[in-house]
Amino acid sequence: MNRIKKRLTILNAVIEAMIKSPETVKYPFGDLTLPEGYRGKIEFDPDKCSGCGLCVRDCPAEALHLNKKSREEYTLLYYPARCAYCGQCEDSCRHGAISHSNKLVGATTHKDDWVLVFKDSKASQE
Amino acid sequence: MDKISIPIGPQHPLLKEPLSMMVDIAGEKVLGGSLRLGYVHRGIERLAQQRTYVQNVHLIERICGICSHVHTTAYCYAVEALLGIEIPPRAQYIRALMCELERIHSHLLWLGILAKHIGLETIFMHTWHDREMALDIMEEISGGRVSHAANQIGGVRFDLDEEHGDMIRGILKKLHSQVDGLLDIIETEPAAIARTKGVAPISSDLIKAYGVVGPVARASGVDIDLRRDAPLPPYDKLQVKVVTHPGGDAWARTYVRAEETRVSLNLCEKILEDLPEGDVSLRTPRRVPEGEVIIRSEAPRGELFYYLRSDGSDKPARLKVRTPTLAALSLLPVQLAEINVADIPVVLAGVDLCIACADR
Repeated sequence: MNRIKKRLTILNAVIEAMIKSPETVKYPFGDLTLPEGYRGKIEFDPDKCSGCGLCVRDCPAEALHLNKKSREEYTLLYYPARCAYCGQCEDSCRHGAISHSNKLVGATTHKDDWVLVFKDSKASQE
Repeated sequence: MDKISIPIGPQHPLLKEPLSMMVDIAGEKVLGGSLRLGYVHRGIERLAQQRTYVQNVHLIERICGICSHVHTTAYCYAVEALLGIEIPPRAQYIRALMCELERIHSHLLWLGILAKHIGLETIFMHTWHDREMALDIMEEISGGRVSHAANQIGGVRFDLDEEHGDMIRGILKKLHSQVDGLLDIIETEPAAIARTKGVAPISSDLIKAYGVVGPVARASGVDIDLRRDAPLPPYDKLQVKVVTHPGGDAWARTYVRAEETRVSLNLCEKILEDLPEGDVSLRTPRRVPEGEVIIRSEAPRGELFYYLRSDGSDKPARLKVRTPTLAALSLLPVQLAEINVADIPVVLAGVDLCIACADR
């Protein structure tokens, strides 16, 4: 009896495997849906940034750098290659300037993409 | 017969992480072995002294790729104890939920590795598929599949809503039936029993002498589990069933872990049922008052020990981590004696080593 039951379980698994769609997605050719809260590519809103530097202080991977000359004159740099996508900057920012999107982080072939200028206060004034 | 010494590792198909073993054999019998550790030493304890308490949460998470959450949980409870704060009950429950999900995925991963080593590739595929379900839940609620970054000093970084609850309950129900099937295979499949039963039995006295903890100790009849013996909140409010088996062999270790997975599934359901309302985090100061604290937590592999000393600044003066694998490793040469060469993979897999944890 037990043996028959086991055989049926195997048969069930075989039929299920034949019917169901593959577990994997042929990304980038197929649609990939990531969870809403997925910690993916970092997005930045320069208008909200006050240049307080809390994100720089808390970043465990030292992926953010602040060149600050004065309260009004500063540049916030982001190094995506160093980023650990931990979400600490999003947590630390009191103004909601940094946030994680649920998009995958793309590869880059340009050296310039390794450093992103999140905010240049001079450029935003002009 | 002449004694031959064969090296296993640091890079070897049998090992998932670097560990160097020298095994002495005579014919088909293993006489004993010696170990060499430190291939994945990253100096995390020293690094932690150079970073702030907030940065350390993410550093500590990278000690291990399997039990990452329980490391940060122990660390955060240690910092919170020094700060003299108690996190909101809802945060405690969410931390415990993540811990249990981690235990489920860790045990299923381990079961897959053991099955692969004893030649049951189908079980390996099934368990790793099932493990993905637990990882899916963690990814959905925390945003990360392996590095969850769920903990922060003062609570957790996300909240659960009704939608999450329904999703988790649905997946847990599926996992329940899968784990029942796996337990059935472990208990009845002749191939699995033949490869594991009676292999490298360890007595409870030896376990106590070497200070081995976790499922390996429980599989030798030593009734220890920190979730019941010295519970961190909210385990004091949850009734944790401790699974033990007197066998002490590789089969008993398999049984204990599979049954523990079932217990963890029940605990997850209980946590979701009892989940209190309220906030999930508190704002905490950056500087931690002077003092020292010891926190012990039950990781998937056993007792995890954290010692933290603060000198009043925003960086720890000393952080010491003791992981359960270290004790299990010391017992490995003893286990390797008097077994067949073909049983080496079963013994190695049976202990569920996490070298990255032990080396840090």
